[in-house]
Amino acid sequence: MKRLPILAAALPLAVLVGMAAAGEPQKTQKNVPDPVQVARGAKAWAENCGRCHNIRDPKEFNDEIWEVSVTHMRIRANLPGKMAEDIKAFLKASNN
Amino acid sequence: MLAVRPKLKPVGKSWMEDNMRKRNIIALASLLAGTILSGAVAGAQEAQGQEALLERIARLEQELAALKAELHENAARVQQSEEKVAEIPTLAERIDAIDARTQATETLVYNPPLPKARWHLAGYADASLIVSDAPEGPDSFSAGMFNPSFHFQYKDIVMFESELEFSFNSEGETDLELEYTQADILLGDNNVLVIGKYLSPVGQFQERLHPSWINKSVDAPAGFGHDGLQPASDVGVQLRGVLPFGDESRLTYVFAVGNGPRMNLEGGVELEGFTSDDNDNKSLGGRIGLLPVPWLEVGASLLTADVKGLEGTVAEPDTPEPTTADFTLWGADMAITRNGWDVRFEYLNARRGAIFSALPHEEEAGAEGIGLASAGHEETAPAGDTEVTFLPRLKMEAWYAQLAYKLSGITGARYVKNLEPVVRYGEFHINGNDELREENAEKRFNIGLNYWLAPSIVARVGVEWRNFAAEERETERRFQLQFAYGF
Repeated sequence: MKRLPILAAALPLAVLVGMAAAGEPQKTQKNVPDPVQVARGAKAWAENCGRCHNIRDPKEFNDEIWEVSVTHMRIRANLPGKMAEDIKAFLKASNN
Repeated sequence: MLAVRPKLKPVGKSWMEDNMRKRNIIALASLLAGTILSGAVAGAQEAQGQEALLERIARLEQELAALKAELHENAARVQQSEEKVAEIPTLAERIDAIDARTQATETLVYNPPLPKARWHLAGYADASLIVSDAPEGPDSFSAGMFNPSFHFQYKDIVMFESELEFSFNSEGETDLELEYTQADILLGDNNVLVIGKYLSPVGQFQERLHPSWINKSVDAPAGFGHDGLQPASDVGVQLRGVLPFGDESRLTYVFAVGNGPRMNLEGGVELEGFTSDDNDNKSLGGRIGLLPVPWLEVGASLLTADVKGLEGTVAEPDTPEPTTADFTLWGADMAITRNGWDVRFEYLNARRGAIFSALPHEEEAGAEGIGLASAGHEETAPAGDTEVTFLPRLKMEAWYAQLAYKLSGITGARYVKNLEPVVRYGEFHINGNDELREENAEKRFNIGLNYWLAPSIVARVGVEWRNFAAEERETERRFQLQFAYGF
Protein backbone atom coordinates (compact mmCIF):
# COMPACT_ATOMS: atom_id res chain seq x y z
CA MET A 1 0.00 0.00 0.00
CA LYS A 2 1.40 3.34 -0.95
CA ARG A 3 0.61 5.90 1.65
CA LEU A 4 2.50 8.75 0.09
CA PRO A 5 -0.24 10.06 -2.24
CA ILE A 6 -2.72 10.07 0.62
CA LEU A 7 -0.27 11.75 2.91
CA ALA A 8 0.72 14.23 0.26
CA ALA A 9 -2.89 15.27 -0.01
CA ALA A 10 -3.54 15.18 3.71
CA LEU A 11 -0.58 17.26 4.75
CA PRO A 12 -1.47 20.47 2.88
CA LEU A 13 -5.04 20.05 4.07
CA ALA A 14 -3.84 19.77 7.64
CA VAL A 15 -1.68 22.83 7.19
CA LEU A 16 -4.57 24.80 5.76
CA VAL A 17 -6.84 23.74 8.59
CA GLY A 18 -4.16 24.71 11.05
CA MET A 19 -3.66 28.08 9.46
CA ALA A 20 -7.38 28.71 9.30
CA ALA A 21 -7.80 27.81 12.94
CA ALA A 22 -4.88 29.94 13.95
CA GLY A 23 -5.30 33.48 15.06
CA GLU A 24 -2.87 36.31 14.69
CA PRO A 25 -0.02 36.02 17.12
CA GLN A 26 -0.46 38.30 20.06
CA LYS A 27 2.22 40.94 20.16
CA THR A 28 3.83 42.51 23.16
CA GLN A 29 4.61 45.77 21.43
CA LYS A 30 3.15 47.83 24.22
CA ASN A 31 4.82 50.84 25.61
CA VAL A 32 5.06 49.41 29.09
CA PRO A 33 4.52 45.92 30.41
CA ASP A 34 0.90 45.12 31.00
CA PRO A 35 0.82 44.04 34.64
CA VAL A 36 -1.94 41.56 33.92
CA GLN A 37 0.01 40.01 31.07
CA VAL A 38 3.16 39.89 33.18
CA ALA A 39 1.25 38.14 35.95
CA ARG A 40 -0.15 35.64 33.46
CA GLY A 41 3.33 35.11 32.12
CA ALA A 42 4.79 34.50 35.57
CA LYS A 43 2.14 31.88 36.26
CA ALA A 44 2.64 30.19 32.89
CA TRP A 45 6.41 30.30 33.38
CA ALA A 46 6.16 28.54 36.73
CA GLU A 47 3.60 25.98 35.63
CA ASN A 48 5.00 24.95 32.27
CA CYS A 49 8.78 25.30 32.21
CA GLY A 50 9.10 23.05 35.23
CA ARG A 51 7.23 20.24 33.53
CA CYS A 52 10.46 19.04 31.91
CA HIS A 53 13.37 20.86 33.49
CA ASN A 54 14.26 23.22 36.30
CA ILE A 55 13.02 26.74 36.02
CA ARG A 56 15.81 29.07 35.04
CA ASP A 57 16.42 32.44 36.60
CA PRO A 58 14.40 34.99 34.58
CA LYS A 59 17.46 37.23 34.63
CA GLU A 60 19.71 34.57 33.16
CA PHE A 61 19.35 35.85 29.61
CA ASN A 62 18.69 39.21 28.01
CA ASP A 63 15.52 40.03 26.13
CA GLU A 64 16.80 39.01 22.73
CA ILE A 65 17.90 35.60 23.91
CA TRP A 66 14.67 35.06 25.79
CA GLU A 67 12.77 35.97 22.63
CA VAL A 68 14.43 33.14 20.72
CA SER A 69 14.53 30.71 23.61
CA VAL A 70 10.83 31.05 24.35
CA THR A 71 9.97 30.57 20.69
CA HIS A 72 12.07 27.40 20.72
CA MET A 73 10.30 26.14 23.81
CA ARG A 74 6.92 27.14 22.44
CA ILE A 75 7.57 24.72 19.59
CA ARG A 76 9.13 21.96 21.65
CA ALA A 77 6.56 22.03 24.45
CA ASN A 78 3.56 22.84 22.25
CA LEU A 79 2.73 26.00 24.15
CA PRO A 80 -0.04 28.25 22.90
CA GLY A 81 1.30 31.34 21.17
CA LYS A 82 -0.51 33.70 23.54
CA MET A 83 0.99 31.90 26.51
CA ALA A 84 4.44 32.21 24.98
CA GLU A 85 3.89 35.95 24.55
CA ASP A 86 2.81 36.23 28.18
CA ILE A 87 5.98 34.42 29.26
CA LYS A 88 8.11 36.74 27.12
CA ALA A 89 6.43 39.76 28.70
CA PHE A 90 7.19 38.39 32.14
CA LEU A 91 10.82 37.65 31.32
CA LYS A 92 11.38 41.06 29.75
CA ALA A 93 9.76 42.75 32.72
CA SER A 94 12.06 40.75 34.98
CA ASN A 95 15.04 42.20 33.17
CA ASN A 96 14.00 45.79 33.84
CA MET B 1 -13.60 152.93 28.99
CA LEU B 2 -13.75 155.94 31.22
CA ALA B 3 -15.93 158.88 30.31
CA VAL B 4 -14.52 162.35 30.99
CA ARG B 5 -16.98 164.38 32.88
CA PRO B 6 -16.63 168.19 32.05
CA LYS B 7 -16.23 170.68 34.90
CA LEU B 8 -19.44 172.72 35.31
CA LYS B 9 -19.33 176.53 35.57
CA PRO B 10 -22.15 178.99 36.41
CA VAL B 11 -22.67 180.60 33.04
CA GLY B 12 -25.60 181.80 30.92
CA LYS B 13 -27.93 179.61 28.82
CA SER B 14 -26.09 179.87 25.54
CA TRP B 15 -22.93 179.30 27.17
CA MET B 16 -24.38 176.50 28.86
CA GLU B 17 -25.84 175.11 25.69
CA ASP B 18 -22.63 175.59 23.94
CA ASN B 19 -20.85 174.11 26.73
CA MET B 20 -23.28 171.29 26.75
CA ARG B 21 -22.69 170.72 23.08
CA LYS B 22 -19.01 170.66 23.57
CA ARG B 23 -19.34 168.30 26.32
CA ASN B 24 -21.43 166.01 24.15
CA ILE B 25 -19.00 166.26 21.34
CA ILE B 26 -16.20 165.50 23.66
CA ALA B 27 -18.17 162.70 25.10
CA LEU B 28 -18.96 161.34 21.73
CA ALA B 29 -15.40 161.73 20.63
CA SER B 30 -14.23 160.11 23.73
CA LEU B 31 -16.72 157.43 23.25
CA LEU B 32 -15.70 156.99 19.69
CA ALA B 33 -12.07 157.07 20.56
CA GLY B 34 -12.62 154.67 23.33
CA THR B 35 -14.53 152.45 21.08
CA ILE B 36 -11.90 152.60 18.43
CA LEU B 37 -9.20 152.19 20.94
CA SER B 38 -10.88 149.33 22.60
CA GLY B 39 -11.55 147.75 19.21
CA ALA B 40 -7.96 148.11 18.29
CA VAL B 41 -6.86 146.65 21.52
CA ALA B 42 -9.35 143.87 21.18
CA GLY B 43 -8.22 143.15 17.63
CA ALA B 44 -4.68 143.07 18.70
CA GLN B 45 -5.49 140.75 21.49
CA GLU B 46 -7.55 138.48 19.20
CA ALA B 47 -4.76 138.22 16.63
CA GLN B 48 -2.36 137.38 19.34
CA GLY B 49 -4.67 134.60 20.66
CA GLN B 50 -5.20 133.07 17.27
CA GLU B 51 -1.49 132.81 16.71
CA ALA B 52 -1.01 131.09 20.01
CA LEU B 53 -3.89 128.84 19.27
CA LEU B 54 -2.42 127.88 15.95
CA GLU B 55 0.88 127.18 17.58
CA ARG B 56 -0.86 125.09 20.14
CA ILE B 57 -2.83 123.28 17.53
CA ALA B 58 0.33 122.57 15.60
CA ARG B 59 1.97 121.35 18.69
CA LEU B 60 -0.99 119.22 19.54
CA GLU B 61 -0.99 117.80 16.04
CA GLN B 62 2.62 116.90 16.43
CA GLU B 63 1.91 115.29 19.73
CA LEU B 64 -1.05 113.51 18.22
CA ALA B 65 1.07 112.20 15.36
CA ALA B 66 3.68 111.04 17.83
CA LEU B 67 1.03 109.38 19.92
CA LYS B 68 -0.43 107.71 16.82
CA ALA B 69 2.99 106.42 15.84
CA GLU B 70 3.58 105.19 19.34
CA LEU B 71 0.16 103.60 19.42
CA HIS B 72 0.79 101.88 16.11
CA GLU B 73 4.12 100.63 17.34
CA ASN B 74 2.54 99.39 20.53
CA ALA B 75 -0.21 97.68 18.58
CA ALA B 76 2.42 95.89 16.52
CA ARG B 77 4.21 94.87 19.66
CA VAL B 78 0.99 93.65 21.18
CA GLN B 79 0.25 91.62 18.07
CA GLN B 80 3.71 90.11 18.12
CA SER B 81 3.32 89.33 21.78
CA GLU B 82 -0.05 87.75 21.19
CA GLU B 83 1.44 85.64 18.43
CA LYS B 84 4.25 84.55 20.70
CA VAL B 85 1.83 83.80 23.48
CA ALA B 86 -0.23 81.78 21.06
CA GLU B 87 2.85 79.75 20.21
CA ILE B 88 3.48 78.87 23.84
CA PRO B 89 1.86 75.45 24.57
CA THR B 90 -0.70 75.26 27.23
CA LEU B 91 0.05 73.44 30.43
CA ALA B 92 -2.01 70.47 29.29
CA GLU B 93 -0.14 70.39 26.02
CA ARG B 94 3.16 70.48 27.85
CA ILE B 95 2.06 67.65 30.10
CA ASP B 96 0.96 65.65 27.08
CA ALA B 97 4.31 66.23 25.46
CA ILE B 98 6.11 65.10 28.59
CA ASP B 99 3.91 62.01 28.75
CA ALA B 100 4.70 61.19 25.15
CA ARG B 101 8.42 61.52 25.77
CA THR B 102 8.12 59.43 28.91
CA GLN B 103 6.26 56.68 27.09
CA ALA B 104 8.80 56.71 24.30
CA THR B 105 11.57 56.35 26.86
CA GLU B 106 9.73 53.55 28.61
CA THR B 107 9.26 51.82 25.29
CA LEU B 108 12.98 51.80 24.78
CA VAL B 109 13.62 50.68 28.32
CA TYR B 110 10.95 48.00 28.67
CA ASN B 111 10.61 46.89 25.10
CA PRO B 112 13.72 47.76 23.17
CA PRO B 113 13.47 47.15 19.47
CA LEU B 114 14.77 43.74 18.61
CA PRO B 115 16.32 42.88 15.30
CA LYS B 116 14.11 41.02 12.87
CA ALA B 117 16.64 38.23 12.71
CA ARG B 118 17.91 36.97 16.04
CA TRP B 119 19.65 33.86 17.22
CA HIS B 120 20.52 31.94 20.30
CA LEU B 121 23.21 29.40 21.12
CA ALA B 122 21.91 26.85 23.58
CA GLY B 123 22.68 23.23 24.30
CA TYR B 124 24.28 21.14 26.98
CA ALA B 125 27.44 19.33 27.93
CA ASP B 126 28.43 16.72 30.47
CA ALA B 127 31.34 14.73 31.83
CA SER B 128 31.07 11.47 33.73
CA LEU B 129 32.87 8.81 35.67
CA ILE B 130 31.49 5.29 35.60
CA VAL B 131 32.85 2.47 37.75
CA SER B 132 31.45 -0.98 37.04
CA ASP B 133 31.75 -4.25 38.94
CA ALA B 134 31.21 -6.35 35.80
CA PRO B 135 34.26 -8.39 34.76
CA GLU B 136 34.32 -6.70 31.39
CA GLY B 137 32.76 -3.52 32.67
CA PRO B 138 34.37 -0.17 32.05
CA ASP B 139 35.89 1.88 34.83
CA SER B 140 36.49 5.08 33.03
CA PHE B 141 36.19 8.75 32.90
CA SER B 142 34.03 9.95 30.11
CA ALA B 143 34.24 13.32 28.52
CA GLY B 144 30.59 12.85 27.76
CA MET B 145 28.99 14.97 25.16
CA PHE B 146 28.99 18.52 23.97
CA ASN B 147 25.75 19.36 22.24
CA PRO B 148 25.54 22.92 20.97
CA SER B 149 22.14 23.85 19.65
CA PHE B 150 21.66 26.79 17.33
CA HIS B 151 18.37 28.65 17.09
CA PHE B 152 17.88 31.22 14.37
CA GLN B 153 14.62 33.11 14.29
CA TYR B 154 13.23 35.56 11.78
CA LYS B 155 10.45 37.60 13.37
CA ASP B 156 7.52 35.40 14.33
CA ILE B 157 7.59 33.68 10.99
CA VAL B 158 10.20 30.98 11.04
CA MET B 159 12.83 29.44 13.27
CA PHE B 160 15.68 27.24 12.16
CA GLU B 161 17.21 25.05 14.81
CA SER B 162 19.94 22.52 14.71
CA GLU B 163 21.82 20.50 17.30
CA LEU B 164 25.21 18.92 16.94
CA GLU B 165 26.59 16.21 19.17
CA PHE B 166 30.30 15.97 19.77
CA SER B 167 31.43 12.89 21.61
CA PHE B 168 34.35 10.49 21.90
CA ASN B 169 34.15 6.87 20.94
CA SER B 170 35.94 4.11 22.80
CA GLU B 171 39.04 4.65 20.66
CA GLY B 172 39.26 8.27 21.70
CA GLU B 173 38.23 9.50 18.30
CA THR B 174 35.80 12.35 18.01
CA ASP B 175 32.37 11.54 16.75
CA LEU B 176 30.19 14.27 15.32
CA GLU B 177 26.53 13.79 14.61
CA LEU B 178 23.69 16.01 13.63
CA GLU B 179 21.03 15.26 16.20
CA TYR B 180 18.41 17.25 14.41
CA THR B 181 18.13 20.10 11.97
CA GLN B 182 14.75 21.53 11.24
CA ALA B 183 12.85 24.56 10.04
CA ASP B 184 9.86 25.59 12.13
CA ILE B 185 7.25 27.62 10.30
CA LEU B 186 4.92 29.32 12.74
CA LEU B 187 1.35 28.99 11.52
CA GLY B 188 -0.42 31.60 13.56
CA ASP B 189 -0.82 31.22 17.26
CA ASN B 190 -1.07 27.53 17.91
CA ASN B 191 0.39 25.56 15.02
CA VAL B 192 3.88 24.93 13.71
CA LEU B 193 4.96 23.18 10.55
CA VAL B 194 8.29 21.41 11.05
CA ILE B 195 10.42 20.35 8.11
CA GLY B 196 13.70 18.47 8.25
CA LYS B 197 15.30 16.02 10.63
CA TYR B 198 13.46 16.22 13.93
CA LEU B 199 13.57 14.42 17.23
CA SER B 200 10.95 11.74 17.33
CA PRO B 201 7.73 12.91 18.98
CA VAL B 202 6.99 9.36 20.16
CA GLY B 203 6.89 9.42 23.93
CA GLN B 204 8.48 12.06 26.11
CA PHE B 205 12.03 11.03 26.84
CA GLN B 206 13.66 11.45 23.48
CA GLU B 207 12.09 14.73 22.50
CA ARG B 208 12.13 16.49 25.85
CA LEU B 209 14.05 14.68 28.56
CA HIS B 210 17.20 13.18 27.07
CA PRO B 211 19.60 16.17 27.48
CA SER B 212 21.90 15.31 30.34
CA TRP B 213 21.01 18.37 32.39
CA ILE B 214 17.31 17.49 32.12
CA ASN B 215 17.59 13.73 32.49
CA LYS B 216 17.30 12.88 36.16
CA SER B 217 19.84 10.06 35.99
CA VAL B 218 23.20 9.63 34.34
CA ASP B 219 21.95 7.47 31.52
CA ALA B 220 18.70 6.74 29.77
CA PRO B 221 16.16 4.19 30.94
CA ALA B 222 16.51 0.71 29.49
CA GLY B 223 15.07 0.69 25.99
CA PHE B 224 15.12 4.44 25.66
CA GLY B 225 17.67 6.75 24.14
CA HIS B 226 19.79 6.17 21.07
CA ASP B 227 20.18 2.48 21.60
CA GLY B 228 16.66 1.62 22.46
CA LEU B 229 13.19 1.03 21.26
CA GLN B 230 12.16 4.64 21.40
CA PRO B 231 12.72 6.25 17.99
CA ALA B 232 15.49 8.83 18.05
CA SER B 233 14.59 10.94 15.04
CA ASP B 234 13.05 10.95 11.62
CA VAL B 235 13.31 13.00 8.45
CA GLY B 236 10.08 14.41 7.15
CA VAL B 237 7.35 16.82 8.05
CA GLN B 238 5.51 17.51 11.28
CA LEU B 239 2.41 19.48 12.01
CA ARG B 240 2.33 20.18 15.69
CA GLY B 241 0.27 22.43 17.85
CA VAL B 242 -2.01 22.91 20.78
CA LEU B 243 -5.70 23.27 21.36
CA PRO B 244 -6.41 25.14 24.60
CA PHE B 245 -9.74 24.56 26.26
CA GLY B 246 -11.28 25.45 29.58
CA ASP B 247 -9.47 27.70 31.97
CA GLU B 248 -6.09 26.01 31.88
CA SER B 249 -6.52 22.73 29.98
CA ARG B 250 -5.12 21.95 26.59
CA LEU B 251 -4.64 19.22 24.06
CA THR B 252 -1.32 18.99 22.27
CA TYR B 253 -0.72 17.13 19.05
CA VAL B 254 2.08 16.15 16.72
CA PHE B 255 1.38 14.50 13.37
CA ALA B 256 4.46 13.38 11.52
CA VAL B 257 5.25 11.90 8.13
CA GLY B 258 8.79 10.69 7.62
CA ASN B 259 11.08 8.37 5.79
CA GLY B 260 10.72 5.91 8.60
CA PRO B 261 12.90 3.18 10.13
CA ARG B 262 15.07 0.57 8.46
CA MET B 263 16.19 -2.93 9.18
CA ASN B 264 19.68 -3.33 10.56
CA LEU B 265 22.09 -6.22 10.33
CA GLU B 266 21.18 -7.41 13.79
CA GLY B 267 17.65 -8.20 12.75
CA GLY B 268 16.34 -5.23 14.65
CA VAL B 269 14.77 -2.05 13.50
CA GLU B 270 16.89 1.06 13.33
CA LEU B 271 14.81 4.00 14.46
CA GLU B 272 17.03 6.85 13.38
CA GLY B 273 16.27 9.52 10.85
CA PHE B 274 17.36 8.54 7.34
CA THR B 275 17.66 11.03 4.57
CA SER B 276 16.10 8.65 2.07
CA ASP B 277 13.41 6.03 2.20
CA ASP B 278 14.21 2.46 1.32
CA ASN B 279 10.64 1.61 0.44
CA ASP B 280 7.48 3.21 -0.85
CA ASN B 281 5.88 3.60 2.53
CA LYS B 282 6.36 6.67 4.60
CA SER B 283 6.22 6.39 8.34
CA LEU B 284 3.18 7.92 9.92
CA GLY B 285 2.97 8.77 13.53
CA GLY B 286 2.80 11.31 16.25
CA ARG B 287 1.61 11.95 19.72
CA ILE B 288 -1.47 13.30 21.43
CA GLY B 289 -1.00 14.87 24.84
CA LEU B 290 -3.71 15.90 27.26
CA LEU B 291 -3.11 18.36 30.06
CA PRO B 292 -6.29 18.69 32.12
CA VAL B 293 -4.25 20.81 34.52
CA PRO B 294 -0.77 22.23 33.92
CA TRP B 295 0.93 19.80 36.31
CA LEU B 296 -0.53 16.62 34.82
CA GLU B 297 0.10 15.32 31.32
CA VAL B 298 -0.90 12.04 29.76
CA GLY B 299 0.06 11.11 26.25
CA ALA B 300 -0.38 8.48 23.60
CA SER B 301 2.01 7.90 20.71
CA LEU B 302 2.01 5.92 17.52
CA LEU B 303 4.46 5.10 14.74
CA THR B 304 3.55 2.89 11.84
CA ALA B 305 5.70 2.09 8.87
CA ASP B 306 7.04 -0.64 6.66
CA VAL B 307 10.59 -1.91 6.81
CA LYS B 308 12.37 -3.49 3.89
CA GLY B 309 14.60 -6.50 4.24
CA LEU B 310 18.28 -5.95 3.55
CA GLU B 311 20.02 -7.46 0.55
CA GLY B 312 22.58 -10.10 1.32
CA THR B 313 26.03 -10.57 -0.16
CA VAL B 314 25.91 -14.35 -0.16
CA ALA B 315 23.78 -15.68 -3.01
CA GLU B 316 23.16 -19.38 -2.56
CA PRO B 317 20.92 -21.13 -5.08
CA ASP B 318 18.10 -21.29 -2.59
CA THR B 319 18.66 -17.92 -0.98
CA PRO B 320 15.34 -16.12 -0.60
CA GLU B 321 14.71 -12.56 -1.65
CA PRO B 322 14.32 -9.83 0.96
CA THR B 323 10.74 -8.98 1.82
CA THR B 324 8.92 -6.12 3.46
CA ALA B 325 7.22 -6.19 6.84
CA ASP B 326 5.06 -3.80 8.79
CA PHE B 327 6.36 -2.11 11.88
CA THR B 328 4.04 -0.65 14.48
CA LEU B 329 5.02 1.07 17.67
CA TRP B 330 2.66 2.60 20.17
CA GLY B 331 3.23 4.14 23.52
CA ALA B 332 1.70 5.80 26.53
CA ASP B 333 3.22 8.25 28.94
CA MET B 334 2.30 10.20 32.01
CA ALA B 335 3.96 12.99 33.97
CA ILE B 336 3.12 14.69 37.24
CA THR B 337 5.20 17.72 38.13
CA ARG B 338 4.04 19.57 41.17
CA ASN B 339 5.44 21.03 44.39
CA GLY B 340 8.91 19.66 43.79
CA TRP B 341 7.70 16.25 42.70
CA ASP B 342 8.61 14.81 39.30
CA VAL B 343 6.78 11.57 38.65
CA ARG B 344 6.97 9.96 35.21
CA PHE B 345 5.97 6.81 33.46
CA GLU B 346 6.49 5.77 29.86
CA TYR B 347 5.57 2.64 28.02
CA LEU B 348 6.47 1.53 24.48
CA ASN B 349 5.30 -1.52 22.59
CA ALA B 350 6.51 -2.47 19.11
CA ARG B 351 5.80 -5.22 16.62
CA ARG B 352 7.69 -6.03 13.48
CA GLY B 353 6.21 -8.59 11.14
CA ALA B 354 8.10 -11.65 9.94
CA ILE B 355 10.59 -10.73 7.26
CA PHE B 356 13.39 -12.01 5.04
CA SER B 357 16.38 -9.78 5.66
CA ALA B 358 20.14 -10.09 5.62
CA LEU B 359 22.06 -11.06 8.70
CA PRO B 360 25.77 -11.69 9.06
CA HIS B 361 26.67 -14.97 7.43
CA GLU B 362 27.11 -17.78 9.88
CA GLU B 363 30.86 -17.57 9.55
CA GLU B 364 30.68 -13.83 10.22
CA ALA B 365 28.22 -13.93 13.07
CA GLY B 366 29.89 -12.97 16.29
CA ALA B 367 32.49 -10.88 14.57
CA GLU B 368 30.34 -7.85 15.18
CA GLY B 369 28.47 -7.02 18.29
CA ILE B 370 24.84 -7.85 17.87
CA GLY B 371 22.31 -5.59 19.35
CA LEU B 372 20.31 -2.44 19.17
CA ALA B 373 23.08 -0.70 20.98
CA SER B 374 24.76 0.02 17.72
CA ALA B 375 21.63 1.37 16.11
CA GLY B 376 22.23 4.77 14.69
CA HIS B 377 25.91 4.76 15.38
CA GLU B 378 27.12 2.10 12.96
CA GLU B 379 27.06 1.84 9.24
CA THR B 380 24.37 -0.44 7.89
CA ALA B 381 26.81 -1.81 5.35
CA PRO B 382 27.91 -5.29 6.34
CA ALA B 383 31.31 -5.80 7.87
CA GLY B 384 31.46 -9.15 6.14
CA ASP B 385 29.28 -11.50 4.16
CA THR B 386 25.60 -11.36 4.85
CA GLU B 387 22.86 -13.75 3.94
CA VAL B 388 19.16 -13.22 3.61
CA THR B 389 17.50 -15.09 6.41
CA PHE B 390 13.99 -15.56 7.64
CA LEU B 391 13.34 -13.52 10.76
CA PRO B 392 10.24 -14.32 12.76
CA ARG B 393 7.94 -11.73 14.18
CA LEU B 394 9.71 -9.47 16.62
CA LYS B 395 8.11 -8.05 19.74
CA MET B 396 9.69 -5.40 21.86
CA GLU B 397 8.49 -3.67 24.95
CA ALA B 398 10.08 -1.03 27.17
CA TRP B 399 8.88 0.98 30.08
CA TYR B 400 10.14 2.91 33.06
CA ALA B 401 8.79 4.66 36.11
CA GLN B 402 10.68 7.51 37.74
CA LEU B 403 10.26 9.45 40.93
CA ALA B 404 12.24 12.53 41.87
CA TYR B 405 11.74 15.15 44.54
CA LYS B 406 13.46 18.48 45.14
CA LEU B 407 14.10 19.04 48.82
CA SER B 408 13.50 22.73 48.33
CA GLY B 409 9.86 21.75 48.71
CA ILE B 410 10.33 21.02 52.41
CA THR B 411 13.35 23.03 53.47
CA GLY B 412 15.13 26.26 52.74
CA ALA B 413 18.31 25.13 54.42
CA ARG B 414 21.43 26.03 52.54
CA TYR B 415 22.85 23.20 50.44
CA VAL B 416 20.12 20.79 51.53
CA LYS B 417 17.50 22.59 49.50
CA ASN B 418 19.56 21.96 46.37
CA LEU B 419 19.34 18.18 46.69
CA GLU B 420 17.06 16.00 44.62
CA PRO B 421 16.84 12.25 45.26
CA VAL B 422 15.85 10.13 42.27
CA VAL B 423 14.58 6.58 41.90
CA ARG B 424 13.94 4.92 38.55
CA TYR B 425 13.09 1.43 37.44
CA GLY B 426 12.60 0.16 33.91
CA GLU B 427 12.47 -2.96 31.80
CA PHE B 428 13.24 -3.75 28.20
CA HIS B 429 11.87 -6.97 26.73
CA ILE B 430 12.60 -8.50 23.35
CA ASN B 431 10.93 -11.60 21.94
CA GLY B 432 11.52 -13.15 18.55
CA ASN B 433 15.26 -12.64 18.27
CA ASP B 434 17.37 -14.36 20.88
CA GLU B 435 20.56 -12.52 20.02
CA LEU B 436 18.90 -9.17 20.30
CA ARG B 437 17.28 -10.18 23.53
CA GLU B 438 20.48 -11.43 25.12
CA GLU B 439 22.32 -8.30 24.17
CA ASN B 440 19.76 -5.70 25.07
CA ALA B 441 16.92 -7.00 27.20
CA GLU B 442 17.35 -6.07 30.81
CA LYS B 443 15.83 -4.71 33.97
CA ARG B 444 17.46 -1.55 35.19
CA PHE B 445 17.18 0.07 38.59
CA ASN B 446 18.66 3.43 39.42
CA ILE B 447 18.95 5.45 42.56
CA GLY B 448 20.67 8.77 42.56
CA LEU B 449 21.13 12.12 44.17
CA ASN B 450 21.28 15.35 42.23
CA TYR B 451 22.81 18.50 43.60
CA TRP B 452 21.73 21.61 41.73
CA LEU B 453 24.46 24.24 41.73
CA ALA B 454 22.18 26.37 39.59
CA PRO B 455 18.87 25.69 37.86
CA SER B 456 20.68 24.26 34.84
CA ILE B 457 23.91 22.99 36.42
CA VAL B 458 23.85 19.69 38.23
CA ALA B 459 26.33 17.37 39.90
CA ARG B 460 24.88 13.91 40.39
CA VAL B 461 25.86 10.60 41.87
CA GLY B 462 24.06 7.37 41.24
CA VAL B 463 24.10 3.62 41.49
CA GLU B 464 22.67 1.48 38.73
CA TRP B 465 21.82 -2.20 38.76
CA ARG B 466 21.47 -3.98 35.43
CA ASN B 467 19.86 -7.38 35.41
CA PHE B 468 20.22 -8.81 31.91
CA ALA B 469 17.89 -11.27 30.23
CA ALA B 470 20.88 -13.30 29.05
CA GLU B 471 21.40 -16.00 31.63
CA GLU B 472 25.13 -16.01 31.18
CA ARG B 473 25.43 -12.34 31.99
CA GLU B 474 25.73 -11.45 35.62
CA THR B 475 24.00 -8.55 37.17
CA GLU B 476 26.11 -5.48 36.77
CA ARG B 477 26.39 -2.66 39.24
CA ARG B 478 27.59 0.75 38.16
CA PHE B 479 28.62 3.72 40.25
CA GLN B 480 28.12 6.92 38.39
CA LEU B 481 29.26 10.48 38.76
CA GLN B 482 28.24 13.18 36.34
CA PHE B 483 28.47 16.90 35.92
CA ALA B 484 26.04 18.40 33.44
CA TYR B 485 25.34 21.92 32.30
CA GLY B 486 22.47 23.19 30.18
CA PHE B 487 23.20 26.51 28.58
